[in-house]
Amino acid sequence: MKKICVMLLCAAMLLCLCACGAPKTDAAAERTSFVMGIDPEYPPFSYLGDDGKYTGFDVEVCQAVCDALGWKLEIFAVNWDEKLVQLDSMECDCIWSGMTILDSMKEAGYVISAPYYDSTQVLVVKADSGYTSSADLAGKVVAVQLGTSGEALLGGDLAELAASFDSVLTCDSFLKCFTELEGGAVDAVFVDLPVAAKYAAEHDVTIIDENLGAEQYGIAFRSGDSELCAQVEAAVKNLVESGKYAEIAAKSEYADIVNNLIFLSNSFQKETDRKRQKICRFLSYCRPSCLNRKMKSENWNL
Amino acid sequence: MSLLTMIVKMSEGLGKTCAIFFLTLLFSLPLGMIVALLRMSKSKIVSTLTRAVITVLRGTPLMLQLLAVTYGPYYLFGAGVARNKLIPVVIAFAINYAAYFAEIYRGGIESIPVGQYEAAEVLGYTKFQTFMRIILPQVIKRIMPSITNEVVTLVKDTSMAFTVSYQEMFTIGKQIANSQTSFLPFVVAGVFYYLFNAVVDYVMGRIEKRLDYYR
Repeated sequence: MKKICVMLLCAAMLLCLCACGAPKTDAAAERTSFVMGIDPEYPPFSYLGDDGKYTGFDVEVCQAVCDALGWKLEIFAVNWDEKLVQLDSMECDCIWSGMTILDSMKEAGYVISAPYYDSTQVLVVKADSGYTSSADLAGKVVAVQLGTSGEALLGGDLAELAASFDSVLTCDSFLKCFTELEGGAVDAVFVDLPVAAKYAAEHDVTIIDENLGAEQYGIAFRSGDSELCAQVEAAVKNLVESGKYAEIAAKSEYADIVNNLIFLSNSFQKETDRKRQKICRFLSYCRPSCLNRKMKSENWNL
Repeated sequence: MSLLTMIVKMSEGLGKTCAIFFLTLLFSLPLGMIVALLRMSKSKIVSTLTRAVITVLRGTPLMLQLLAVTYGPYYLFGAGVARNKLIPVVIAFAINYAAYFAEIYRGGIESIPVGQYEAAEVLGYTKFQTFMRIILPQVIKRIMPSITNEVVTLVKDTSMAFTVSYQEMFTIGKQIANSQTSFLPFVVAGVFYYLFNAVVDYVMGRIEKRLDYYR
């Protein structure tokens, strides 16, 4: 009797597993809609616009891709630290929201698109704090958003730096990290440059002129969705060639990120130097590497 | 990361979870009694006011109250955010749970027949003596199951301290889950909470049995 019971239970479990696997093949057959997973608090890549609709660079590009492929775009705001679980559970078809490509994602089998953005990690401190380098922050408290590459870096490549801090505080959104900073509970926030630049433009904080980790953004798809990935990649390539991509990037909201878009970097170099310098000047207050480049090109000395 | 390192790392956070749990009980159980007595005050103003406060505390999410206590002073008055997050977390939890405990106490106190008060008066007990010696012992016995309910919920609610970046066990679990792209830490967290609650259940069961001296 006991044996039969165990066998029945095993069979039931197997059936469950089969049921879980089944819908995957159906969904890919004929696609009419595309669900984009975004972090709604990640300007300027994806955020809630003034009109109450999700917008941002990634959202606009995805909209253009869907228009080109005849899909209906649906936007799904994911819980950033659960994003891959939500992707796996079919709640969205991709994660496309200024997402840093991590080796652990590839190892876990996710299909990752070609990178489209070069980013860096920086430390943000209060304007009047007087900190000028990461070394000044030894013994201090640093906040980082859970699930971001900054958190991964502090636990991995930058573990030594993290050990020099008093402690690392993980918050569940950038806003909380910055509130902690301005409220004096932490001394610095470790964050992706585009987000830092946008916040620094509106608040009394400064970005420490130190590049702490280069990384690239990409789009994540479920394992087995390489066909979908190729389709999206091809559509983005078409947008780049038709100039639509540059058109979106030229909007003033995206001035902070336009210089680091990989697909545009070639065409940008061909453009007049003046325009590049203009952007450099605009970004120089927030982008250390750009400032360095400008200093080198014009033989400035500090 | 092996399962063992995972468990060790999360146990470190378990201490902070316990800190929230015990400190909340320490403050909210007596505070609840004060609120219950205010709620049953003969003065209309006091009882209505207390009732309003209880409605707000029970009618808004604990998560919101945590955010309000932690970041409210900063946004409203420009005061700093507390470096030691345990303080705002325990304040928010204690206030919230006191509201629930108050209503449980009130239910218990009001379930005692009026006849007992009259009998105590006839026997020459003062009001204070009546409450402490006759009413309260019966009330505690009656409300134990409801209190256990709240205490068990409190164990699980501690995970909400994450919203204000307090690094308790579940927060650490989330961090590990992220860096390892694994679901295992959540299973470990589930087991931890279950074991914690099994202990709570056992202890509360023992207390209930000890109180059951008439059966």
